[in-house]
Amino acid sequence: MKLSLSGLCPIFLSTVMGVTFVGCNVVRITLNTPLTPNDVAFIVPGQTTLADVITKLGTPDSITESYTGVVATYRFLDTKYSRINFGWLLKPFSPVDTDLIISRTGLGTDAFELLCDSNWVVTHQSFLRHLSGPRFNPYPF
Amino acid sequence: MSFFKSLAGIIIVSSLIMAQGCAFSRGTLGEDIKSESVAAIMKTTTTKAEVLSLLGAPDRLLQVNGRDVFQYYRYDAKVGSLLLILINFSRVSIKGDDLFVILNSEGIVEDVILSKRTDGLEFRFWPFGE
Repeated sequence: MKLSLSGLCPIFLSTVMGVTFVGCNVVRITLNTPLTPNDVAFIVPGQTTLADVITKLGTPDSITESYTGVVATYRFLDTKYSRINFGWLLKPFSPVDTDLIISRTGLGTDAFELLCDSNWVVTHQSFLRHLSGPRFNPYPF
Repeated sequence: MSFFKSLAGIIIVSSLIMAQGCAFSRGTLGEDIKSESVAAIMKTTTTKAEVLSLLGAPDRLLQVNGRDVFQYYRYDAKVGSLLLILINFSRVSIKGDDLFVILNSEGIVEDVILSKRTDGLEFRFWPFGE
């Protein structure tokens, strides 16, 4: 029994869709759990202690001393990498492997820093960078 | 009837095109921080020497607020890859365990702070979303 043209359409479309995405790589790397402003909204400078913060967020990645107190830093990373190799389109027809690759990486590094006084009370808090988060976008130009 | 045939065709073609394999990888940095060793450290009684015998030398020695702070850490990375012919998905998840032992000027433990983030670390493949 022959397949009708309308029956072939989904197969053709799925194959075209597949070929369009030939040679795609999508990679994501996360270090620790990225913090958002909502996660740290409970911190009230002058009232919240470092112990309160540790109870909710866990231990910081580093604690260092400054002239005005103690600095606790939570580091995190959310890297997104995407890559398309259009050279794969020529693979069935070309005797050599040709590559036409576009890729883009968004590192998405950030840190949340707390400055505490000598009694471990948080006096200042801020994110190192104010990132909206990288996107999967292989277009590099 | 033709619908089911075309659906079967899509599934077969998709399977042939897409199915290739998957990969699991794992990497660790540092020794596991044993919970029983941490539980043996008592505030106001355990000494610096006892901490060193229980946990070994710290990965980092800090001086904060006139106190010595021993920091022990360990990192765990799990990589899940879905290797398809047309598209590959990979997800690398890295988390760390941190232990801070705060010692006063007499060398007695004042506080112990432990966070084991690696306990909930899973192999993930899907790079989108959270």
